[in-house]
Amino acid sequence: MYIKIEGLKKYYSDKLILDIERLEIEEGRITGLIGPNGSGKTTLMRIISGLDLDFTGNIEYNHSPLNEDIYKKMTLVTQKPYLFRRRVYENIEFPLKVRRIDKGIRRKKVEEIMERFQIEDLKNKKGHLLSGGESQKVSLARALVFEPELLLLDEPTSNIDPESMKIMESQIIRFNEETKGTVLIVTHNIEQAKRLCDRIIHLDWGKVIS
Amino acid sequence: MIAIDYIVEGLKEAIKLLIGFDQEIYEIIFLSLFISTSATIIASIIFIPIGIHLGIKEFKRKRALSRMLYTFMSIPSVVVGLLVAIILSRRGPLGKFDLMYTPKAMIIAQTLLVTPLILGLTYSLAKNRGKEIESIGKTLGAGRKDIILLIIKELKIDLIVNVVTAFSRAISEVGAVMIVGGNIRRKTRVITTTISLMKSMGDYPMAIALGIVLLFISFLVNSIIYKYTGED
Ligand SMILES: Nc1ncnc2c1ncn2[C@@H]1O[C@H](COP(=O)(O)OP(=O)(O)O)[C@@H](O)[C@H]1O
Ligand SMILES: [Mg+2]
Repeated sequence: MYIKIEGLKKYYSDKLILDIERLEIEEGRITGLIGPNGSGKTTLMRIISGLDLDFTGNIEYNHSPLNEDIYKKMTLVTQKPYLFRRRVYENIEFPLKVRRIDKGIRRKKVEEIMERFQIEDLKNKKGHLLSGGESQKVSLARALVFEPELLLLDEPTSNIDPESMKIMESQIIRFNEETKGTVLIVTHNIEQAKRLCDRIIHLDWGKVIS
Repeated sequence: MIAIDYIVEGLKEAIKLLIGFDQEIYEIIFLSLFISTSATIIASIIFIPIGIHLGIKEFKRKRALSRMLYTFMSIPSVVVGLLVAIILSRRGPLGKFDLMYTPKAMIIAQTLLVTPLILGLTYSLAKNRGKEIESIGKTLGAGRKDIILLIIKELKIDLIVNVVTAFSRAISEVGAVMIVGGNIRRKTRVITTTISLMKSMGDYPMAIALGIVLLFISFLVNSIIYKYTGED
């Protein structure tokens, strides 16, 4: 999915948080978004994902404004993962269920993605009882299971062991290569950005600086 | 001396009634449970989804709504009873259904009584904790209906506690069921109306027996609340 942002301004009670004249996210690529704490990365992700509609300016998704159809084709993995009080299997199944996908197909997809993430052993555990690292893996799996056209990731690997980080990075790359899905990833880790991204955007004081 | 005798006698009789499975007393207990359970279920099914919807929705008069709901949550039951009586009485707007002094009228009154409680408690729960769940649901592509269902499932434990709270308000109130039911023997007599109208000596042991039952019910109810809130 191709994204074009023009003249975006976002205020939190008189304080200008985001001021982006022009920004394009290229279709089918992995774009990194880096910047210091408080520079507005999370705010920008929430705006692009349609969660925060309180801004001025213009955002186009594949040359059209946000609508129901586009909204169903994208997803955001939030900085602090939130898993539902149900089994991990059912957590991952959720996006397929709300899209009214057949049970048989659902099972196949959920099992496949759990295998890819090597989290089969978590299948019957309750989502809200998982550790931070486990939650991050499950919440990425839950986002990828329905093959979105736009995947927004807000620091998806912030507190995770190197082994799990490797799995997650390789799954992000695989998703991008296999489905041509567009990825926008916020990260603090420059090395990670270099490993994953085709292009890196620096955000500082709410402005795009490169 | 005489007063003590009365109480001792009453207690003896009360226990006899309870363990002797006296038909009338069990009819009264059953009717009470039936009416208050029905009212709580009806109010919950309708107003839990509405409360959640209002809690997560942004709109202008949200503060005013909060205040109004909290006021109605403590509405006196006699006021509700009076209101329902006016509506259901012969010359009232729903007079033609002839519902006055029937268990149906009592269910209607208690439903109305617990509605602000269910709505208000659900609303404040969703206002505080529903937003985050809504966001996650949205990012995963859920529509309005699926989001409300998701929030109900996520907040299940707190909602159960709220429903139980509403039930205990219903089962222990006298005013509304007295006014619209009329405390008619073997027809609309429930635990609280029997206790409050123990005019004749004959009703005295029965009132004590029912008092014990009511205490037992509220003990059960509180155990449920304690179990769920203690666990989390
Ligand atoms: N709900 C909010 N209300 C007020 N200010 C906020 C809110 N959310 C974020 N901010 C402020 O907006 C700025 C950008 O925050 P954020 O987008 O979370 O930054 P980042 O993700 O880059 O660390 C910060 O100064 C933060 O304090
Ligand atoms: Mg952030």
